[in-house]
Amino acid sequence: MIDRVSPLEESLRLRAPERVMDLERLGSLHPSRLSFVRSLMRQMARQRWQISTTRFDLDDDGHGTAIYRLQTPRGRYHGVIFSQPLPDTARSDRVIAEAWDVTFGVVEGDVDDALLEQMAANVPLQEAGRQHPRLLVLSRANRSLRNFAAFTEALGAGRQPDPQWITRVGYLYRTTAVYGNGKFGIADFDRLRDNPDFQRPFSAQMLGVYLLRHFSIEQIEHIARRQAPATAIGLAASLKRYLGIGNSTGLGMAPFLINHPQLIEQWVESREQALAQISAQQPDEAQRAALMALISRAQRHLEQTVTEDEEQSARNVETAAALPEVRIWLEQVPLTDDLWQELIEWGHRSLSLETQELINTLLLEIYPDIVEPFEDRMGVDERLELTPEMPLVRLKQLIETHYDWALSYDFDDPENRYWFWYRSVEKEEPRLGVRGSEPGADRELKLAIAPRVADTHRVITDYLSDHPRATTVDFLIQHSRHKDIVRRIQTMVETPFGEIRANLWARDMKPMHLLRTKLSFFGASRFDPKSDRWVRITLFQGAPLVEELNAEPEDLRAFDDWSFPLEPSTSHAEDIPTTITTGVVT
Amino acid sequence: MKVSYNELQGLCRKAFLGLGFEDGDASDAADMVAWMQLHELDGLEALNRGLDYLLAEQHAQEQAPVQLYADGDLAVLDGQGHSVLRSSSLALELGFAKARARGFSVIKIRRCHNRQLIMGYLARIAGRGMNVTAFWRNAQAPQGDGNGEPPLTEQVVGFRANSSVPEIRVYAVTQVPEENELNDGITLVFANHVNLLPSMRSEFDYDLLARHEESTLLACRERAMLDGIPINDGVWNRLKDLAARILVESTDASRGGAGAGTTDND
Repeated sequence: MIDRVSPLEESLRLRAPERVMDLERLGSLHPSRLSFVRSLMRQMARQRWQISTTRFDLDDDGHGTAIYRLQTPRGRYHGVIFSQPLPDTARSDRVIAEAWDVTFGVVEGDVDDALLEQMAANVPLQEAGRQHPRLLVLSRANRSLRNFAAFTEALGAGRQPDPQWITRVGYLYRTTAVYGNGKFGIADFDRLRDNPDFQRPFSAQMLGVYLLRHFSIEQIEHIARRQAPATAIGLAASLKRYLGIGNSTGLGMAPFLINHPQLIEQWVESREQALAQISAQQPDEAQRAALMALISRAQRHLEQTVTEDEEQSARNVETAAALPEVRIWLEQVPLTDDLWQELIEWGHRSLSLETQELINTLLLEIYPDIVEPFEDRMGVDERLELTPEMPLVRLKQLIETHYDWALSYDFDDPENRYWFWYRSVEKEEPRLGVRGSEPGADRELKLAIAPRVADTHRVITDYLSDHPRATTVDFLIQHSRHKDIVRRIQTMVETPFGEIRANLWARDMKPMHLLRTKLSFFGASRFDPKSDRWVRITLFQGAPLVEELNAEPEDLRAFDDWSFPLEPSTSHAEDIPTTITTGVVT
Repeated sequence: MKVSYNELQGLCRKAFLGLGFEDGDASDAADMVAWMQLHELDGLEALNRGLDYLLAEQHAQEQAPVQLYADGDLAVLDGQGHSVLRSSSLALELGFAKARARGFSVIKIRRCHNRQLIMGYLARIAGRGMNVTAFWRNAQAPQGDGNGEPPLTEQVVGFRANSSVPEIRVYAVTQVPEENELNDGITLVFANHVNLLPSMRSEFDYDLLARHEESTLLACRERAMLDGIPINDGVWNRLKDLAARILVESTDASRGGAGAGTTDND
């Protein structure tokens, strides 16, 4: 049973924006039930989506073309994957790379010979190609060479790969960009506005990644069988599930978070509203036990998470070490009506940011009926608009009330204006430069909102001293360069959670937190920073397999229960050899 | 070549930044051009015709429109000869604000060019619940004066409140008054509760040169979403060159901190 709380009580229980939108806290989020990989898997199972292979034309080394068909109740789509040889010297995760081990696209509708020919000529070129408007997604990925070699050898020799390899690197392929929304000629997101299959943000992109995961399993089995036909075996089901798809992400992800504040607002507010609802629930013993079991699973997951990054490693250790204490707290406190609220408040006082947010994530996990309706609220029709008739004095008050955080920095302090953001001539890659010592500050990307708000506030204050009754448009006609930021302010003051509260010029600003914010909503796990500016993560690790989806699962709750995946035991992996199936549907 | 709407809007925005537009003006101008192209109204060609002006005026000191006269219902602004891509959005916002306050307003922008491109911002104003109509004339000489001059044309663009597309009419007018002033302005009418859509007196002497119904424009949009938006490669490349002005040269230092290594064979 869940008790819906009134909108008033929900709003009273919402965490304050200054707490939620703090950059370091956002950079401590974990993937959750609301993450896009999770909601896609639920949608696929609930609506009985079916995935079949229509072409699997690979040579002994796994090079060639594969096509997967996706049938939904509403329509048909195809994932088209091109696998080609790649010299080691060309294998780079950077956006500036020009060739990849696999390139692929998700197509709306059928793929005839003409479209396949067009795709074969353009998809492998990625940004340098001219892509077809029926492509919903364009992407590419590189092999994890170590896992590829180890898996091929083990399966060819008739044994299962060591699960620890997957614990160290949780995938056979990692994507280096997954493009949607009109990039390089593919379909605009607007085209999906009325398409219930993919109208949620990033759901088509996540499908592309899920199909690549299926391909990676089929391809590795195919290579092993071709190379050792007498001895090869298929990959154990438990290992298949433990395989995800990697992703390598750099600063390129950062501008999105700043340039789409209304979307970020939807994501964060949905999570916070669900959490506010949950904090009002009266737990029973079964729910307390469920939360404690999840805490144990998350603890083991974190203990099995490998990263060379010292800071992230310390955070993982700290979180895993704190969780036994959380279990003890939960065991010892009486089962009061306010138990969840007390847990959240105790955590806030006593635990690290990552541990606090982990507990919130696990609370979301045990109330699917509360959380899942929010998955349809993650999208928004984005539009920042002026309110030109607003009295200027009102605008000034709004800035002082809602953007007080932006006014709190001293931008004359060199430490607070250390970095500038820009786009490089190399594939327009976003980068950070040191102001005053690196070229490009004159072409700065205006991602740092706080200094712009502070500047506008100063100019408004001056203008008001001579024009106390001015409207916003009166001011803008005299000072038009402020139009953009005023439009943003006037739109975003209506919402609590759109603006990330940080000074993106500050020397101690950590871009990694921006990346993790977005990646957590995607559903990324195994967060593995490689510097403070780029990170590798894993998607779909532990997710149900295509064959499990095609079997039309009865128990949708069990199907959805794949968060915080754990390393399967070796004996378990060895015990369940599976048959290689490459059945082709024509 | 065909491009997506997002791609077109994105490149235009970068090109306008490359031309020295402020961020807000660059976004607005890009939306205006992309809106026209999406509805098969040759926005890119209109931009291309005006690009030389934009390049010439990029270093001009004063680029925002100057208010010559204003009262509660009416304002006259001087566009200072700039493209509407630079000068019109705040004039339109002024008209919107006045109509919000008074129910009805009129804005006149004098001395501006590239007037076709104002339609994209009118769509934005209409999307905020305002009826808005724009009117302008294109040339001086009446049709058939024997001097080979282009005819006097008149264009009316009317958006109903909350409609994403307008009704458009372009006429050639033969009855030209003698005190015909220079036609380099645009008149805008805003109304909270009144539709002002194009309509002609039947006895008036005119030739209908172009007529775009709301339904036709919606079909254009649908087609663009399905098949992509055709563009002229030459204009596209010109925009790419302008967009490249905002990019920063690469150095070893900049390459080093931005992401993964140049080879990732692990």
